Amino acid sequence: MAARRPARLTRRQGLRLGLALPLVAARPAAPVVEVADGVFVLPGVDEEASAENLDAIANTGFILGAEAVAVVDPGGSLAHGQRLRAAVAAVTRRPIRHLILTHAHPDHVMGAAAFAECGAEVIGHARLPLALAQRGPYDLRMLERAMGAAAVGSGALAPTRLVQDRLSLDLGGREVLLQAHPPAHTDQDLTVLDAATRSLWTGDLLFIDRIPALEGSLLGWLAVLERLRAMPAARAVPGHGPPAAVWLEAAEALTRYLVALRDGTRAALRAGIGIAEAPGRVAVAESRAWRLAEAYHGRNVTAAYRELEWE
Amino acid sequence: MPLALRRRSALLIAPLLATPLLAPPGLARAQGIEPAEAPRRAERWRDLKQAILGNRPTLPAGAALELTAPARAQDAALVPIAIALSAEAAPAVRAIYLTVDENPLPLAAVFRAGRPGALRALTARIRVDAYTNLHAVAETSDGRLLETTRFVKAAGGCSAPIAGDLEAARQRMGRMRMTLPEGPPAPGRAVPVQVAVSHPNTSGLQIDQLTRLSIPAEYVRALRITYAGAELLRIESEISIAENPTFGFTLDGEPGGELRVVALDNRDRRFEGHWTLGAAG
Repeated sequence: MAARRPARLTRRQGLRLGLALPLVAARPAAPVVEVADGVFVLPGVDEEASAENLDAIANTGFILGAEAVAVVDPGGSLAHGQRLRAAVAAVTRRPIRHLILTHAHPDHVMGAAAFAECGAEVIGHARLPLALAQRGPYDLRMLERAMGAAAVGSGALAPTRLVQDRLSLDLGGREVLLQAHPPAHTDQDLTVLDAATRSLWTGDLLFIDRIPALEGSLLGWLAVLERLRAMPAARAVPGHGPPAAVWLEAAEALTRYLVALRDGTRAALRAGIGIAEAPGRVAVAESRAWRLAEAYHGRNVTAAYRELEWE
Repeated sequence: MPLALRRRSALLIAPLLATPLLAPPGLARAQGIEPAEAPRRAERWRDLKQAILGNRPTLPAGAALELTAPARAQDAALVPIAIALSAEAAPAVRAIYLTVDENPLPLAAVFRAGRPGALRALTARIRVDAYTNLHAVAETSDGRLLETTRFVKAAGGCSAPIAGDLEAARQRMGRMRMTLPEGPPAPGRAVPVQVAVSHPNTSGLQIDQLTRLSIPAEYVRALRITYAGAELLRIESEISIAENPTFGFTLDGEPGGELRVVALDNRDRRFEGHWTLGAAG
């Protein structure tokens, strides 16, 4: 049984693994971008996790209210989280009261350790604790493998407040609306809508440029995208891609890819193409428009096949 | 015909469970550092072989037996594998054993030929709990054991949740699919056949999302496949076989016969499917 508390690689464990503690020289970070009044994004890079990028591969950021700050996704490593925390400190002295985790993936949650002592409540989807417990130890080991010593100290924080459906936060004259979704990108996706600027933080329900990763439900993801279209938003902050993009247009390429995946997989099933061959045969042309397609497209086809085989 | 193999399977597994080699399942020990792990893996395979095959010596299979698996799995809970016998070796092989060495229950399946050549080309989908060697061992009718191996990188497959809703999967339980991608067989023309049983095939290592208790193991433990009344092959399977057990094999002979699959699970539920393999067109 996995421990209930999310795993965290301690300094001692790092030493036991024979990791040298001094950090590998990381690449200089991109500066924080204010995409709308009081909405700040620290853009991630479209790469796999490495010591050089500190697993700063997802978009993270914060929303600034008159009284408090809400951080959305603390980043992929302790160092990434520290970078985000420094970015908050450079903008305001107001306290970080809320740490929102859009889902359990390591590039979004492993930086939470940098916020451990700031007193913020940790908010996530009702299914987030189980997902963190199930995948946390493995994700940490993979992070250590990708980043070496730079991974030491990274880890998620256990959620202290869960969202079953909706939750409204008040940052001081600024309302932030959280919505929990049925299985889509993962089974614990949470979106964050800043009402004042009509900015929708999608977490990984929206990918731009970087190929999406399907883990929850393909049909569910298409349904959730339909639901997000109805949200009163003018811009989206995607989990991966530019810091902000015009909503709804921002979802068009993703929707096209997911539809190609769905239709191509159904056609492969009808033709009797096996699950071992399907990754090389389904929606291959559509996948080429995306960065890192070679690393994720096959997985996406496998997940789609598994979901649609018995529909 | 009795398909009950549970007692025997339990006997195979019991000594394995008793060895300290089998650490608690799951992700915790998922990553071995290669090649430092090689001696431990070799020792594990020696122990497994002893438990499954006794003291009988094995020979390297060479070109007689080929085991195919992705070097890195797309999905640890559903890793497609293929086992092929050379045309020369196939008629003499009466059984093939498949192991996923690092899994909590390493023996994934045993395929038994109902007629010569029935095991020539097999496919299956397995769960992989940690970076592991797979082994296939072919047993010939004169008692020789030919082994081959393949290393797979994947982790967490035994405890990964089933796809979608467990309740829906339970309601679907027993539905069967049959695929003939190249059409029906003909005399002298072997064609691939794939059969699948909808069954959650829970491993006992998965966790209920609501209660957070482990879900009891319910899995298909035996299949018997016949064509035109004659047995083609039998498969004994364990929890290392992925959800919705799906197996491929080849079939030649006259078209128009009835392909029949009988599956039994560990709760003694019996599922049956049959299809008439009509002439091409």
